[in-house]
Amino acid sequence: MESNLKARIRPGQARRKQRTDRTVRAVFFLAALISGSCIVLITLFILMKGIQPFLPGYAYGSVSLKDFLLGTLWRQDQGVYGVGFIVINTLISAFGALLLAFPIAVLTALFIVKIAPKPVKPLMKTVVELLASIPSVVYGVFAAGVITSLVKGLASLAGVSTAGGSSLLAVILLLAIMIFPTITSLAVTAIEAVDPDLELGSLALGATATQTHFKVVLTSAKSGIFAGAILGLGRAFGEATAVAMVAGNKLFGPTFNLFDITRTLTSTMLAGLKETTGLDYDIRFSVGLVLMVVILLSNLSLNWVKKKVGNGQ
Amino acid sequence: METCFEVKDLNLYYGEKQALKQLNLTIGKNRVTALIGPSGCGKSTFLRCLNRMNDLIENCRISGEIRLLGENIYDSKTNVVQLRTEVGMVFQKPNPFPMSIYDNIAYGPRCQGIRDKKVLDGVVEHSLKSAALWEEVRDRLHDSALALSGGQQQRLCIARAIAMEPEVILMDEPTSALDPIATAKIEELIEQLKTTYTIVIVTHSMQQASRVSDDTAFFLLGEIVEADTTRKLFSKPADQRTEDYITGRFG
Repeated sequence: MESNLKARIRPGQARRKQRTDRTVRAVFFLAALISGSCIVLITLFILMKGIQPFLPGYAYGSVSLKDFLLGTLWRQDQGVYGVGFIVINTLISAFGALLLAFPIAVLTALFIVKIAPKPVKPLMKTVVELLASIPSVVYGVFAAGVITSLVKGLASLAGVSTAGGSSLLAVILLLAIMIFPTITSLAVTAIEAVDPDLELGSLALGATATQTHFKVVLTSAKSGIFAGAILGLGRAFGEATAVAMVAGNKLFGPTFNLFDITRTLTSTMLAGLKETTGLDYDIRFSVGLVLMVVILLSNLSLNWVKKKVGNGQ
Repeated sequence: METCFEVKDLNLYYGEKQALKQLNLTIGKNRVTALIGPSGCGKSTFLRCLNRMNDLIENCRISGEIRLLGENIYDSKTNVVQLRTEVGMVFQKPNPFPMSIYDNIAYGPRCQGIRDKKVLDGVVEHSLKSAALWEEVRDRLHDSALALSGGQQQRLCIARAIAMEPEVILMDEPTSALDPIATAKIEELIEQLKTTYTIVIVTHSMQQASRVSDDTAFFLLGEIVEADTTRKLFSKPADQRTEDYITGRFG
């Protein structure tokens, strides 16, 4: 059948199509430009605000950068601002939470994908996704009400006293609960993406299901699982509201005792932000800068580790 | 001729659908048996009965028996994990694990609790030599297996199966993803391997079946139409359908 298709094409169609192509490309570029410049602007703003207190001629009397970075005391009432111990506290609480949440999250993901009976699987996935979407302040209220009393009870069993349960341990437990769904849901995705042929290959060699899960499935998914850990760690570093509700904001440190109160970079930035001015206000931007550097360095080093242990992907 | 597998009245159902119908077949020891037939005829399904990989498929039901050296592998007392160390398998697409060449070969033995490095070193070398891969990879045993070419990966998978010192090696269209040169190497390898192992190979290529196999079984719609020596089946088929298929009239 001859439909004479070529004659039906409107004249100038090719040129019109190319014009649309160019327009669409410009729209994409604009979108990328807007999102990119937002990040640059925010970083620049924080950078400019954050370095102010260390510059000569600062309106509220300058602060020594060295004392700020290496300090082990934070007394806003005395005008002493040392962030060194807070950095260590932040690292301890974030990595502590990761250490606790990571194995449980990976095993949960393995269970959801490989072991859970068919009807249970979508249910568990939904629950994990719901957990990830609960606002942090809700976790904070839960932590202040439940985790602190749990820690208090634990402390009295061990024969130590706590500040009403507010403690490093409470922060770690809270953060572990908060990052657990993030890691689990990325691990689920990574495990689901493992080629079923690899599993069959393993079973065909006389490996049991458990051997296959641990030696082949997890090994094949480790790159994606690691990405989940990095994302979870980022959340642990960045969480402010909920952490501030159970940290106790210690004035000096660092804190190594699990039952002692602690202070993180985020809780420091948040505490009394609305009721302060001058140096005490501006210095929070400096703390924010430090936090950004800490997160950046942690991510870079974890990415380096990921490349080392990964499958070269 | 010694018997390796003895298949008696084998029926297989996926739910309500019957995929294999009343199969009877004898597979000779230290021989290469080719399973041929058009797509969907059940030859791969049958192959997976021989190491009970079909157990992993839901709603899959099997009746009848398959005897491996006299023992019914569908007996309730059969240990499936043990069976698969005796009946190795090579898949259609090369599926090396994302680990080093060495670890790929050592995987099977390690899963059986063998940790002695000397023993493993020996197994790795012997398996790679048997799979005609040793010379190509001896200097990079600890590099990722994924860096190998497709043909090398498939020979690695054969080496991985050999490492378990199985009785039988099942091959499910092992060269369909490979170029002609890599295919020729694998076919050459099959020729060498049959002195030590019994080989059952599913193939789409009738040339391949006639080149590498001693015996051939022709599958059609879940039934074995004809099974005989390859020479006989290709030169004087007893059934009209076999003749139509091997002369290219369908499939």
